[in-house]
Amino acid sequence: MTLILSIVLGLLTGFFGHTLRQRTQLSTVAVSSLLTLLAALALPRIFTDGNQYALVCAAVSYVTMSSTERLAKVWETLTVSLFCSVLVYYGQDVLMGIGGRLGTFAALAVLAFTVPRAHRKLFKKGVRT
Amino acid sequence: MCRHALILLPLVVATLELAGYLIGRTSSVVLLALLAFIIVLAPKGCRLGDWKKALRSALICLVGALASFLLANNLDLGPLMASAVVGLLGTVVLKEKDQLVVYLGTFIGMSSALRFPTLSLVVLAGLTGGILWEMLSETWNGVGGRLGTVAATAVLIVLLAFGGGLQ
Repeated sequence: MTLILSIVLGLLTGFFGHTLRQRTQLSTVAVSSLLTLLAALALPRIFTDGNQYALVCAAVSYVTMSSTERLAKVWETLTVSLFCSVLVYYGQDVLMGIGGRLGTFAALAVLAFTVPRAHRKLFKKGVRT
Repeated sequence: MCRHALILLPLVVATLELAGYLIGRTSSVVLLALLAFIIVLAPKGCRLGDWKKALRSALICLVGALASFLLANNLDLGPLMASAVVGLLGTVVLKEKDQLVVYLGTFIGMSSALRFPTLSLVVLAGLTGGILWEMLSETWNGVGGRLGTVAATAVLIVLLAFGGGLQ
């Protein structure tokens, strides 16, 4: 599995997930499970490490379940998708066999993006706490 | 604090794993004791408002977990496809809030059969997941991956308490 391909597939999943959420009436669960199903069916047939890439796509599909208050714009979803792809790539040996592991990576990526943004006042120059 | 302590459990375990510390039987007791201490110390945040609602969620979550686990392991669909199929079926037959609970259950069912050698552990984790879902309903709202984190918390609690740790 290569990092570049993981990121590309993660970004594609993020883009499609965001678009489906914005342009259709599908529920968050429907969008995420559709993307996961497509990835699980297609990627193992295309790549030798397809199962690993499908994991990346599944994790990013969980990112796209974020509310529009958290991730409103497509660039925000894409940034978090990138974080998430990198996390899944480097976290392959963490929490092995534990259900919910991919969701944990997704949540970590979303929080890494949204928490600093919510508290950006703290990072501005001249602001004392 | 109590809610955050619960939902952060997977991240704590992941950090310990990254530090090269595998959690065995003794460590399970220590971790569970810590968790119990936090819940006893700050029980306000972890109160369950409505037990009937929690029981309903626990049962829906259990169905999702069992269906996903059996599809993944007995029909060899693999965890991803099993979770997606059960999640999609849920969107056809359930209301939106219940869809989330069944999807949470499918994440629990994605656990490896090596972690859950018997179905009773899956049942326990499924029920725990539903109860945690109600308990943590106000935590990390709108954060994608929250369902997975709650699922991982439920799985870890069951593994630490009954599954002999993570070694």
